[in-house]
Amino acid sequence: MSTVQRDRPPAPGPIRPLVFPTIERRRLDNDLAVLAARHGNLPLVTAMLVVDAGAAGDPARKAGLAKLTTDALETGTRTRSADQIAWELEHLGIEIDAAATWDAAILSVTAPRERLEAALELFADIVRHPAFPEAEVERLRDEQLATIMQNRKEPRALANDMAAHFIFAEGVPYGRPLIGTTASVQALTRDDVEAFYRTHYLPNASSLLFVGDIDADMAHGLADRHFGEWPAGQPTTAEFEVVPGVETRTIFIVDRPGSVQSEIRIGDIGVARHHEDYFPLLVMNTILGGAFTSRLNLSLRERHGFTYGARSGFAFRKRPGPFIVQVAVATEVTARAVEEALKEMAALRDEGATEQEVAAARDYLRGVLPLQLQTTEQLASRLADIVIFDLPDDYFQQYRQRIAEVSPEDVHRVARQHLRLDRLAIVIVGDAERIASSLEDLGLGAVVIHQDH
Amino acid sequence: MVRIPFETHRLDNGLRVVLSRDPSVPVVAINLWYGVGSRNERPGRTGFAHLFEHMMFQGSAHVPETAHFALIEQAGGSLNGSTWLDRTNYFETLPAHYLELGLWLESDRMGWLLPAMTQEKLDNQRDVVKNERRWRVDNQPYGDWDERIQAMVYPPDHPYHHSVIGSMEDLDAATLEDVEAFFRTYYAPNNAVLTLCGEFDPAEARDLIERYFGEIPRGPEVPPLPGRTEIPPVIGEEVRQRVEQDISLPRLYLAYRIPPYGDDGFYAAAVASFVLAWGKASRLYRSLVRDRRLAQDVVAYAFPIVVGSAMLVLWSTARPGVEPGCLERAFLDEIEGLANVQDAEVERAIHLIETRRLIDLQRVDERADQLSMFTMLFDDPDRINTELDRIKAVTTADVRRFAERYLGADNRAVLWYVPRGQGGAA
Repeated sequence: MSTVQRDRPPAPGPIRPLVFPTIERRRLDNDLAVLAARHGNLPLVTAMLVVDAGAAGDPARKAGLAKLTTDALETGTRTRSADQIAWELEHLGIEIDAAATWDAAILSVTAPRERLEAALELFADIVRHPAFPEAEVERLRDEQLATIMQNRKEPRALANDMAAHFIFAEGVPYGRPLIGTTASVQALTRDDVEAFYRTHYLPNASSLLFVGDIDADMAHGLADRHFGEWPAGQPTTAEFEVVPGVETRTIFIVDRPGSVQSEIRIGDIGVARHHEDYFPLLVMNTILGGAFTSRLNLSLRERHGFTYGARSGFAFRKRPGPFIVQVAVATEVTARAVEEALKEMAALRDEGATEQEVAAARDYLRGVLPLQLQTTEQLASRLADIVIFDLPDDYFQQYRQRIAEVSPEDVHRVARQHLRLDRLAIVIVGDAERIASSLEDLGLGAVVIHQDH
Repeated sequence: MVRIPFETHRLDNGLRVVLSRDPSVPVVAINLWYGVGSRNERPGRTGFAHLFEHMMFQGSAHVPETAHFALIEQAGGSLNGSTWLDRTNYFETLPAHYLELGLWLESDRMGWLLPAMTQEKLDNQRDVVKNERRWRVDNQPYGDWDERIQAMVYPPDHPYHHSVIGSMEDLDAATLEDVEAFFRTYYAPNNAVLTLCGEFDPAEARDLIERYFGEIPRGPEVPPLPGRTEIPPVIGEEVRQRVEQDISLPRLYLAYRIPPYGDDGFYAAAVASFVLAWGKASRLYRSLVRDRRLAQDVVAYAFPIVVGSAMLVLWSTARPGVEPGCLERAFLDEIEGLANVQDAEVERAIHLIETRRLIDLQRVDERADQLSMFTMLFDDPDRINTELDRIKAVTTADVRRFAERYLGADNRAVLWYVPRGQGGAA
């Protein structure tokens, strides 16, 4: 038995080929796009309907409507009550996931292959024939209001909501919580839900994805049987400008007396998904705060012990979503943590990253892709991105090459361009009395204390 | 019927190895279970097993500090570890051609951790863990529920009486000598299971595992658990606690002792938890959320733990304006009503569990973790394939019997969180 060399990491073995599933595309007569991708080796299929009915389309003063509409789909159809729908599905061992994102309403179901047809019959019924019973819509609205109430006492949710609020100017949809505000949700009615549904839930504004133990013909047949009669309509698109909420760097303290930690969000407007710098930004963010060994985490956690974890990320949406650095730190080190985080951002902006860091970040992003595509649900979510952002069908075949092309110069360029340290909204949910003066002493910008939230 | 294939063997030093090949993916999951968790902690050192887990990522004799995370991330892998009551696990999923890197890293910290330990690393990770506690528990609404519930369900001398995260005082008290003693006692090949799942050549993997792990010496016999592990199957009375917090809505937690994981009674409890609170056709959702509108949510979970008794925990947040006593009565009525559970409800629960299992098994890391778990807890990795049969064997009569025996007032821990300053009669 030969012993091993322990002094240095072993070299990798021969690389295994990576075969990405091919996407087959069809279209029904009503213009519903049907995508199918064979994936995995278990008898499972995920069906996912992506509808252009996201929260960005919430009418002004009706924030939270897209979410309420998605939730209300399961509460009754022309022929089934809410209880019947739940019972029939769950007796098959199946659950429907329905959620509104900013850019789409996404409904999905994962079923054993032999129960797929039955599941899809129910799935189609709730999508096509929702009754929106008044009492059920009111119940869901009240639950949404209660969640809004709970979020105000939950420091992470509060920090996220307040960060969006300060990053974007008044009136920009992304500045509101996706779930809505107390005032906006209180005013929502059953008729609002019905109207939103009629405007946005259209086959010609939707795609139906099938991923798993299924081929294109079977997918097309299922789609046609259950969604073929869904009448097309006139799609609408949400139009709005994204405008920043601050012009100069400002620290907003959201007072939460007695907090033992400060929830810090350092934010700015990021970029839209279609931005030409998408790949360099992915690499740059991986170096800054997108992985465990990113600069922010190594500094704030591993060097200073201020936190359990620090990270950063761009929310890529159809329009520029937020870029946010987030970290929760012990109250007494709040100012020092803000200072260190900004120092890391400034260093990346001013000096860029080393060749080795850029190579490591590229290798990370290229390598983890197959890990993130293990399940039918994971792959379906990626196909949803292709549909929502109108990416090419061979996007994942190209992805690793596009990442490989990012150079240290690219990283430095996008860091200079997109890390605008003079225009940050720094939001801190914490004990104002214990943190305000040390934050003022940093001299980073005005410190504003918010008591009512 | 989906069957996960595997083969097992044991090294001379006692390390149990499970290999489960799946050539359909280009990745390999490496998973290690060590037979040590918060249950092994002695008084005055709560939270230590978890603090120790953090130290395992701080480098070892041949692996520089931060290199563990860096090498795996550069390889395009993901990794983590976690500590729970019965065990500590470490895992990474890597592109298949980096298998040897993972084995090198795991074997180095199993065999050669102590030469790399320093006071500075311990102090740093102690700060990190204290911040983890603040983040999960102290700064979070309802954040200390598990700590309180465990202390209510298990007597002070039972290994499950205290929570995994431990107390700030005990974290402060931990020393480098503790790290050394803990490592020598528990981190030995004879107290571990190593599982590979995904794409690899089995002969090559066996050879690599022998070469990387084979020379690590067997450790001493693992000492018996501290305290009293045999406890009565029920609490014996109703235990009650009321906590005022800065929250907007009251929340009720109910917990019961149930048969330990692996026991037939445990599977009846798991099925009961799905009947009661999983999905929108569950009893509690239909009654408390949909029909009577008393609750914002309902959750039930049977903890798969093995020492003496496991526990079933249920919780529910009151809707605004709902009086806690009213929600509690309605909740308890539904639990009592389980005595007349019907065949179709049990079928529904089993079908849901069956689909969930299939969905979970898609991931190589999940399969690897389950194979390690079944090997460590029951010396029977094939339970990954046979456990479902035991769940399917649960009958309506079993669930009724379970409810009558375990879900009464004599086995109930009731924990209420209420908004500060609002009296409430809970």
